[in-house]
Amino acid sequence: MCAAVFGVGTVGAVAVTLQSPAIAQARQATAAEPFAVAVRRLTESQYRNIVADLFGADITMNARFEPEMREEGLQAIGAAQLSVTTSGFEQYFALANSVSAQVIDAKRREKLVGCQPADPKKVDEACTRAVVTRYGKGLFRRPLTEAEIATRLSIAAKGTAGVGDYYEGLRLALASLLMDPEFLFRVESAEPDPARRGQYRLDAYTKASRLSFLLWNSAPDAELLSVAEKGDIHKDAVLKAQVARMVASPKVRDGASAFFTDMLQFDHFDNLTKDAATYPKYSQKVADSAREQTLRTVLDLTVDQNRDYRDVFTSNETFINRALAAVYKVSYPSKDPWTKYTFPASSERSGILTQVTFLSLFSHPAASSPTKRGVKIHEIFMCEPTPEPPADVDFSKVQALDKGTVRVRLLDHMQNEGCASCHRRSDPPGLALERFDGLGQLRTLENGAPIDVSADFEGVKFTGATGLGKYLRDDKRIPACLVRNVYAYGVGKAPDERDEDYLDDQTKAFAKSGYRFKALLAGIASSAGFFKVEQPKGLGPANPPKAVATARLSQGGPQ
Amino acid sequence: MTFSRRSMMRGMVGGAAVCVGIPTLDMFLDVNGQTFADTGAKVPVRFGTYFWGLGLTDTPDGGSRWVPKTKGKGWEITPELESLKPVKDKVSVFSGFRVNGDGRPNAVHWSGHAAILSGVAPSRGGQMDAPSFDTQIADALGVGTRFRSIECSANGKTVSYSTRTGKSFATPEASPIALYTRLFGQGFQDPNSPNWSPDASIMLKQSVLSGVAEQRRALLARVGSTDRVKLDQYFTSLREMENQLDIQLQRPAKAEACLIPTRPDEKPRAHSVDVINANSKAMARLLAMGMACNQTKVFNFVHTPGQSETYIAGDSKIYHQYTHDEPTDPKLGYQPNSSKLAGLVMQAFGDFLVEMDSIKEGDGTLLDNMAVLAFSDTGYAKIHSLENIPMLIAGGAGGRHKGGYHIASAGEPVTRVSLTAQQLAGAPVGEFGAGAMKTSRPITEIMA
Repeated sequence: MCAAVFGVGTVGAVAVTLQSPAIAQARQATAAEPFAVAVRRLTESQYRNIVADLFGADITMNARFEPEMREEGLQAIGAAQLSVTTSGFEQYFALANSVSAQVIDAKRREKLVGCQPADPKKVDEACTRAVVTRYGKGLFRRPLTEAEIATRLSIAAKGTAGVGDYYEGLRLALASLLMDPEFLFRVESAEPDPARRGQYRLDAYTKASRLSFLLWNSAPDAELLSVAEKGDIHKDAVLKAQVARMVASPKVRDGASAFFTDMLQFDHFDNLTKDAATYPKYSQKVADSAREQTLRTVLDLTVDQNRDYRDVFTSNETFINRALAAVYKVSYPSKDPWTKYTFPASSERSGILTQVTFLSLFSHPAASSPTKRGVKIHEIFMCEPTPEPPADVDFSKVQALDKGTVRVRLLDHMQNEGCASCHRRSDPPGLALERFDGLGQLRTLENGAPIDVSADFEGVKFTGATGLGKYLRDDKRIPACLVRNVYAYGVGKAPDERDEDYLDDQTKAFAKSGYRFKALLAGIASSAGFFKVEQPKGLGPANPPKAVATARLSQGGPQ
Repeated sequence: MTFSRRSMMRGMVGGAAVCVGIPTLDMFLDVNGQTFADTGAKVPVRFGTYFWGLGLTDTPDGGSRWVPKTKGKGWEITPELESLKPVKDKVSVFSGFRVNGDGRPNAVHWSGHAAILSGVAPSRGGQMDAPSFDTQIADALGVGTRFRSIECSANGKTVSYSTRTGKSFATPEASPIALYTRLFGQGFQDPNSPNWSPDASIMLKQSVLSGVAEQRRALLARVGSTDRVKLDQYFTSLREMENQLDIQLQRPAKAEACLIPTRPDEKPRAHSVDVINANSKAMARLLAMGMACNQTKVFNFVHTPGQSETYIAGDSKIYHQYTHDEPTDPKLGYQPNSSKLAGLVMQAFGDFLVEMDSIKEGDGTLLDNMAVLAFSDTGYAKIHSLENIPMLIAGGAGGRHKGGYHIASAGEPVTRVSLTAQQLAGAPVGEFGAGAMKTSRPITEIMA
């Protein structure tokens, strides 16, 4: 690990990473056996979708899932770092018990269990086997091994014997499947590639799961599993046909929804608070509505209307409800809970950056923040992260907030070169949005002074939110960043130098499609690059040799 | 948020680099957990960490709003430690301790507490390069209680710095109602109930887990080292769940001080300091009762996160902004609003300790049988200082902690205080930390 020295006062440490020798070693040392390329915790929405797909959308899942972790811009990448901690395990356990109880309850039993025990008080192995095999395959995204089935048969038998109820035994077996790490984690596996000696490929079920999690945010359906089972998924034509089928399915909306929820960082809503005195209109209802508004807008444009992705920065078509109409200060024109709404061209609302979601998420509790907004525009839409501010920055020139506009105060940052190099990038697009306060309400004055929304950004001058939207729509980093994000999201890994040519090709294809999001999904999902195998470090026996243990840095031990 | 080297380069504006090599993954392998755990049952002390964000206020001329002038026993109350007055003699104050980064960058609002907890400056923000030591204390002390440890976050955000893997952090209870439900909701058994009988459904629950544990070896055999650490955490959580169920099958030992609290009200989330402090106090009371009722012996409490966004209701500026932007008042010699907020934030810690001290246990109080290590992410927040990070140890630790001392150091590593806290908790630890922060010298002056 490489880093800048403490206290040197550098802005953004240059890190020089060496190609890890461990990767090369592992490559040589591995025998021709299947191995796991990655283990990623299921996200909350994936968990929910899989359960709903298998057992029905009416299954109640009342639980608090552990937070996701964002890395390299996406939670899908962070998911590879996450495990299940104690309180998370408790939640899964309660959920497994509750879901399994609902599956065997009186109103669902007949439909979901599918077979009847000869005697409802006694063990019926054939019925249990049928249920465990069927749902096990759906939950694990692959057929269960005989040992895995046997374990559940035994749990069911003991449970039934213990309480004299067939269904209670069956419930325990189902709960056990729901607690299995192979359900809760996506264990992606590689196997020797018969077509290329010494090389590996993702196994058929892993490929099927990658497709279905990207395109549907859920487990593969029966058809996809069957294509995997036969091995046909390795054939290019079959793969393309499956991708076409999946992108044409209404479930692609679930896939797109999960992707944009991740990319647009809606998780910040979980921790959002606003000062009640400053923004009396803010409520949880407004926050929930804003989130839904942005998601509806993006899905409508990119999936339902199949429009140019870049329209999300300029389109004034959106959806609102009564709570949002109040914040936007427009009359609510419908009797329905939600309605399609087009802001007039003269309004300053066009594109998702002018919606409450973006404007309120990236603000302070009681004030807007051009810097936060600017940083997020770079990070989310251009894939350009901003380094942490220098640790030893001198803020002494920065003045109090109760006079004039924030533009004047931010100019102070420009007097310090350590600050200016970043603020020059982050602030102009943020300042263009300054006519929206920390909740996203339109305003023209700040502390009594008129707000200037002109921007000089990367040598281009524009004005206000509309100008910013147009600027972003035509910026070539915008589509390239989306391509990077879809790919990284799908493979659960940040791209590196070796992926550059691949991403360039995908970006060109995306442009050629007229920037259609569904075409991008299909292009990536049917490309070889999407199924590339990289061997993880440190493959080997489960118990590390003693030498490793003694080499670890001391955390203390018995005295 | 973290980004790769390549993405950093794009957004990067210049700097210098040095490479340091510290093996990381090996530090997470669970190699001596068992020996540690075996000694646990003998230790009756409770242990907790208490974290607040943004440090305390120093002044540009080298002064401080919190460091007492008196060294050794009998420190005098300072403006920002005013709230500790009622329990002052049970608290030791540590000033002048610092994080030595071994050449690693200062990950602002992160390096400080990451180093205190893991014993090594982290290689990047948001992660730790070794487990936080509270997890090892929990393994030692947590035997025999329903929860090995309980995590709380009083600010409504899901923030915890307790980690076994360095990347997966514990999920805290983030409201009084959530904490109440965890401690006293389903699965709670009243230790003083005269009518106890084992719940038969628990054995059925146990059988669900039996199948899962069996696969451990096969699964671990085909994964890489990073994934193995992650799955190890999963299986640790599984064992903890099994332990919880085992305990529920045993008649709970009587607990005189245990009084089941009433269910708190659900409140909307807010981040102003008055709301956070009220939450903190309510959660302290619940946690105290959770310990008095033998539900846990270990906790990790976060008042506000590192880059604290708390604020005084109605003020448009958050605490974090004040620490950086607020000029030093020329007459006062310090940042008045920052210092005021620091005092308000510390009020919650004073209240927390008073709650612990209000529960009688034997001849003393719950606090007398606790060791609480309280600390922040930074020293003087205006400059993200990793020097003079405020640290406090509160509670009598069952007679092991003398209390009432001010230990002033001239830049020794924070790990010395961490090690001291571990030993006060009764953990059999002789050495803590890595690299320049490795230490085997606890601060014996405060140890009885």
